[in-house]
Amino acid sequence: MSQSARIVTAHWGDPGVITVDGYLAGGGYEGLRRALGMTPAEVIDELKASGLRGRGGAGFPTGVKWSFVPQNTGKPTYVVCNFDESEPGTYNNRELIEREPHQLLEGLAIAAYAVQSHTAFIYCRGEFLWPGTVLQRAIAEAYGKGFLGPDVLGSGYNLEVVLHRGAGAYICGEETALLSSLEGFRGQPRLRPPFPAVEGLYESPTLINNVETLCFVPHILRRGAAWFAAIGPEKSPGTKIFSISGKVERPGNYELPMGTPFRVLLEEHAGGVLGGRALKAWTPGGSSTPLLTAEHRDVELDFEAVQAAGSLLGTGAVMVMDETDCIVEATRRMLQFYAHESCGKCTPCREGTWWVSRVLARIENGYGRPQDLELLLDTADNMLFKAFCALADAAASPIQSSLRYFREEYERHVAEHRCPFTGIGPGAVEPERGPDETGSSGPEPSEPALVDLGEVLR
Amino acid sequence: MAVLTPELREQAEAMKARYPAGRERSAILPLLYLVQSVEGSVTEDGLREVAEILGLRAAEVEAVATFYTMIRLRPTGVHVVNVCTNLSCALRGGHEVHTAAREAADLPPDAEVSKDGAVTVHEEECLGACDAAPVVQVDFANHDRVTPERARELVSALRRGEVPEPSRGVAPRDFRHASRILAGLEDPT
Amino acid sequence: MSAPRSAVDTVTLTIDGKEVTVPAGTLIIRAAEQLGIQIPRFCDHPFLEPLGACRQCYVEIEGQRKLFTSCTTTVAPGMVVYTQNRSEPAHRAQVANLEFLLINHPLDCPICDRGGECPLQDQTMTFGPGESRYIEPKRTYEKPILLSAAVALDRERCVLCARCTRFCDEISGDRFIELFARGAGERVSIAAGEDFRSPFSGNTIQICPVGALTATSYRFVARPFDLSRADSVCSHCAAGCNVTVDLRRGEVVRVLARDNLDVNDAWLCDKGRFAHRFADAPDRLTTPLVRDRGLEPVSFDEALSTVASWCRDARVAFLTGGRLTDEDAYALSKLTRTVMGTNDLDHRRAFHGGVAEQLAAAVPMSVTYRDVERARTILVVGLDAEQELPILHLRIRKAARRGAKVFVVHPRRTRLHDVAEHVLVRPGQEASALARIHDAAGGDRIEDRIAAALAEAGEEAVVLAGPGLAEHPLAADVALGLAGRHGARFGLLSRRAGDRGALRAGVHPALLPGGRRVTDDAERGEVEAVWGPLPTEPGRTSMEILEAAAERQVDVLFLIGLDPLRDVPDAGLARRALQNARYAVVQSLELGELEPYADAFLPAAATFERDGHVTTWEGRSQRMRPVRGPQGLSRPDWEILAGLARAMGGDLGFGPIEELQEEMSGLLEPRGRPRRSTAWAGGGTPQWIEELTLFTYPLLVDEGRLSDRAAEVKAALEDPPFAEVHPEDAAKRGLEDGGPVRLRTGAGEAVVPVRVTEDVAQGAVFVPFNQPGLAANTLLAGRFTAAVEIERPAMVAVAVSDAAQVADTGAAADGGGG
Repeated sequence: MSQSARIVTAHWGDPGVITVDGYLAGGGYEGLRRALGMTPAEVIDELKASGLRGRGGAGFPTGVKWSFVPQNTGKPTYVVCNFDESEPGTYNNRELIEREPHQLLEGLAIAAYAVQSHTAFIYCRGEFLWPGTVLQRAIAEAYGKGFLGPDVLGSGYNLEVVLHRGAGAYICGEETALLSSLEGFRGQPRLRPPFPAVEGLYESPTLINNVETLCFVPHILRRGAAWFAAIGPEKSPGTKIFSISGKVERPGNYELPMGTPFRVLLEEHAGGVLGGRALKAWTPGGSSTPLLTAEHRDVELDFEAVQAAGSLLGTGAVMVMDETDCIVEATRRMLQFYAHESCGKCTPCREGTWWVSRVLARIENGYGRPQDLELLLDTADNMLFKAFCALADAAASPIQSSLRYFREEYERHVAEHRCPFTGIGPGAVEPERGPDETGSSGPEPSEPALVDLGEVLR
Repeated sequence: MAVLTPELREQAEAMKARYPAGRERSAILPLLYLVQSVEGSVTEDGLREVAEILGLRAAEVEAVATFYTMIRLRPTGVHVVNVCTNLSCALRGGHEVHTAAREAADLPPDAEVSKDGAVTVHEEECLGACDAAPVVQVDFANHDRVTPERARELVSALRRGEVPEPSRGVAPRDFRHASRILAGLEDPT
Repeated sequence: MSAPRSAVDTVTLTIDGKEVTVPAGTLIIRAAEQLGIQIPRFCDHPFLEPLGACRQCYVEIEGQRKLFTSCTTTVAPGMVVYTQNRSEPAHRAQVANLEFLLINHPLDCPICDRGGECPLQDQTMTFGPGESRYIEPKRTYEKPILLSAAVALDRERCVLCARCTRFCDEISGDRFIELFARGAGERVSIAAGEDFRSPFSGNTIQICPVGALTATSYRFVARPFDLSRADSVCSHCAAGCNVTVDLRRGEVVRVLARDNLDVNDAWLCDKGRFAHRFADAPDRLTTPLVRDRGLEPVSFDEALSTVASWCRDARVAFLTGGRLTDEDAYALSKLTRTVMGTNDLDHRRAFHGGVAEQLAAAVPMSVTYRDVERARTILVVGLDAEQELPILHLRIRKAARRGAKVFVVHPRRTRLHDVAEHVLVRPGQEASALARIHDAAGGDRIEDRIAAALAEAGEEAVVLAGPGLAEHPLAADVALGLAGRHGARFGLLSRRAGDRGALRAGVHPALLPGGRRVTDDAERGEVEAVWGPLPTEPGRTSMEILEAAAERQVDVLFLIGLDPLRDVPDAGLARRALQNARYAVVQSLELGELEPYADAFLPAAATFERDGHVTTWEGRSQRMRPVRGPQGLSRPDWEILAGLARAMGGDLGFGPIEELQEEMSGLLEPRGRPRRSTAWAGGGTPQWIEELTLFTYPLLVDEGRLSDRAAEVKAALEDPPFAEVHPEDAAKRGLEDGGPVRLRTGAGEAVVPVRVTEDVAQGAVFVPFNQPGLAANTLLAGRFTAAVEIERPAMVAVAVSDAAQVADTGAAADGGGG
């Protein structure tokens, strides 16, 4: 893709765009200026016409989402930017902020104006210490230049932006969990309805958008909906940042038109599989999306085509495994992640992720039983669409897809009582992770009893 | 026992004021970072003080604190070394880096803090920098494409009292300093 | 959300092929219940907000790809639902989920208190897997830990349904326990160093769907099939909670809340739940005694004829405690007037007087729990609801959660503090505060806002006047007048279980049954038509009776369910009265400290041994059936009184209890509103008083006899003695929080640790009424308030009890102590 076809990463070659002056030099905040000259409804119509779909994973049309936020409710309206980027393999939000933070702030201000909100929060992943600092500085600059704060660009419109840092919990990327966390509670998902658009943060109307999504917004305002809608496939217009990692020559973020074939991303941009080895498996959108294989190398990367291939576009985070990688170990590692990150609220996710991760460890370590394969599939089935939120569905994805495409590899582990790739078998077993480690950094739950029970019963 | 000085108590009030009136509970994570920046971890006293500042019961604060991995309720080293072993890093040698970091800290199997108290080594989930796998964070500053050898160097440097230069941005002086930045009180320059 | 909907929209849907019509917004699980279809559930509880955590209640909805949790999904018109009974996918999902719930469960049912009445066990036996398919080790925790002396937690058995933590969050507001950590490590926990110090903690045990939370008082005591069970009504206070009482070999071993949406919803306070052993106390007496040389056992007939002989042509007076049934009270009211020919009887310890009291006697149910729940504005005056009427406290919280504005006028900030605005007034000045609210004319003072909220809510406002108002003559009438001005509902709250019934029945020196005045010929005539001629002079109040007795003006002093040494706000007077009454007759469960004074003892049946009614603070009369028979020779009080009447040669006119009830119900028909109060007191300005005012009321768990042998709940909730002083008052006298304070009143003095707190009004000093180590009535002279001087004691003060050892650091130790 030519330099000029890139949109949100177009200026990444220029280290100066980290500052407001650098950003302004490239036409920055022109989109906001134009938006403020329009009515909020016109801004929403513009977004609808562009066909932009959310880049956070679900792919919901952005303009439509904005139009769901009710007006004149008597309560404040909030905008929350989801910068809790934590999906394994995904790292485009971080780089968008580290390189050009004002692009997000401009998109955020436009979104806030469109839904007539005067307070916006950016929920920044806790571990992103440096990106958060970049953002904090950019917010201060934007206030200084009048792009944020009272009377934005002399329009009479006010907008406060608050950076809120998380503290280490993947689940807070789920929008209702994010709201719980932002309100100062444990980051557990909440019931919908009420939907956040109607009753979100502080029981008030709330618009939640992902960083990448908001970064497209200034460009759409600057260059018009028609320009954007003409890029890529009709149903998934625009570009998408694909984060490719794992066994490739040149891992990185590549902004490509929606619908670019995976083969093009892998071979033309990422330089092919590392060391020229054979492609074995890949995720199209982070570890939460079902694995695909070498036979899917021509799948076009957009919402519809990936779904037709049996997976999901997700965050566009492509993790590549080659012929030397053990699929059982890869699946085990992914399940370890979900067990660690399950919020604990609902039964299938809390128990399913932890128990499956241990069954997988047992198989990997050479203690698998023939019936374990059915047990895994059955457990995945008992988790899929049975949990409170999508985390358990995500955890079921690698189990089901790895067994779909690589069942014989599992069978070899069981039959040979060892991992065919590492040779690990009985005697080399890792200690099993207990729930205290799975759960949190909190104290081990074995504090002494408060009172001797015998005392009380006497 | 009070964890926060009167000056920090004033800052705590300012942190509450970042959020709408009546919604000060939103400041719970920043406040936990604040007490962590003083204590190096969050103790029972710290939990109680946050509860008092927010008008909550201690259990409400502890429930939140135990939910998030970056709020450390156990004894913690001066520096925290997080090694990502999630898939993309594991494919690139993350487990070996983790093992090397633990060895350099002389950690027995069940320990996570080095005997000299200098470092905590922690196996971490995806840190969102998979292009630079394997990734290590020292006090939340990123170190890219870390080899087992480099991991040993990092840990040894920390144990000598040096703060290694990260791949991007500025390195906090230590875990307490990182917590202070996370509390939103300081721009590291 | 606060405005009740007048017309409820309904929705018709089909569940398992049966049509059902329910209000819009109903959850599927509730709609199914209406058809008698039970969908398995763990986290769902009808009184808690929907959560959707356990995932056990899946149902299939026609036309939907995924299954839905019926506890979080509301009905829609034309919806077609299939439960596990008709849907294979729903059934399969439930079986699968049960496997997850059992995956860590220790299966220690044989030693679990819950075994035999456990939803998890029941469902597993019904359709659960026979054995686990997993071989990994289960999650283990230390078993069990104590959350308080009353509540134990076994985290291995817990299914993390969050019922207990949601109860503490949504219902009681006592957020002592929470879910800690996350994922497989998530667990119920309490903050380090804290106890589960909530007077409602036991409810978490009852709603736990497994054996994770257990009562230390019941651990390993019984199996469900060992128990005999009966429904009853709790008589610890006037809340009237419906309970189920479990007995093992005739002994009460467990009390559980019984659902009644009109009264206690599904809740019970910890006193009601755990303080149930008083009737089996070692010093319970079940044989009549008459003093000869010592107190000698005699037959009931002999005891009654001896007592009757004392009463003939004698000056007789009756004092009662707070736990008589309505029938007992009625029998006493009639006996006193018709056989003894006097109006010297009283059940009160504090005296409202006035129209409000007469109204409460005449008209039951002027305010109900439901009225409180639906109210948009609630004004509570003179009541610490959590401590004095705990279940009303929960209902007020429920109303607040539904959007009601709640205000409390009281000398102490109560545990409604998080849902209510408090006006802290000096004790005795509640009436002036009410007058200021009455006279409010717009503005931004709290009084103005209360007035505006009352006016705005109109009939949906409730004014609740508590026992604290009795310290000011006619303060209750001022509250009544305020309610009347805004059209609000008014309730005069009684605290003890028997209070309202006794008032209704006329255990009162000036009021006959139904609030008819002794002095009003027409009103008295209505009673005389049934009872025959009655004395026309009002009798003496309880304090006047004691004074008369102390001055040898009483020949026979009856003490029915009352220990004046503990219960009356003047310990010295009570002692003199006992000494100087010619005869003291005690009719109770035990003698205790009254032993030296009693000339006769008539053993009464205990609360769970009686048939009859008790009346809630609302005026709701509830049938209390006996759970077991009277012990030994003990008898229900009304039977003893009827027997005494016969021994006197009289006749109360009823044989079986049904005859008594029929006669009583005729006289207790609601009588319409008496005329409006015109009483006014105090005007609008607070009177400034130089000295401090001591005030006291009993906390929930105290040294009252009904808490006897309730060691667990006492250890969990009872306070060591203390006095609360406002910081400014403390500063003036050099008092430090936690240090000692000497309290000196006209009646006596005491040294106790002081709590310096802004939660008490300036100028007020609070001590609990009947706490271990401090009998507050030694500081009182007939009222629950007293002028008090406080100072820092110069000497080392020891130890009113070993739990409350205090020492003045400034002084050298004085070996003997104070």
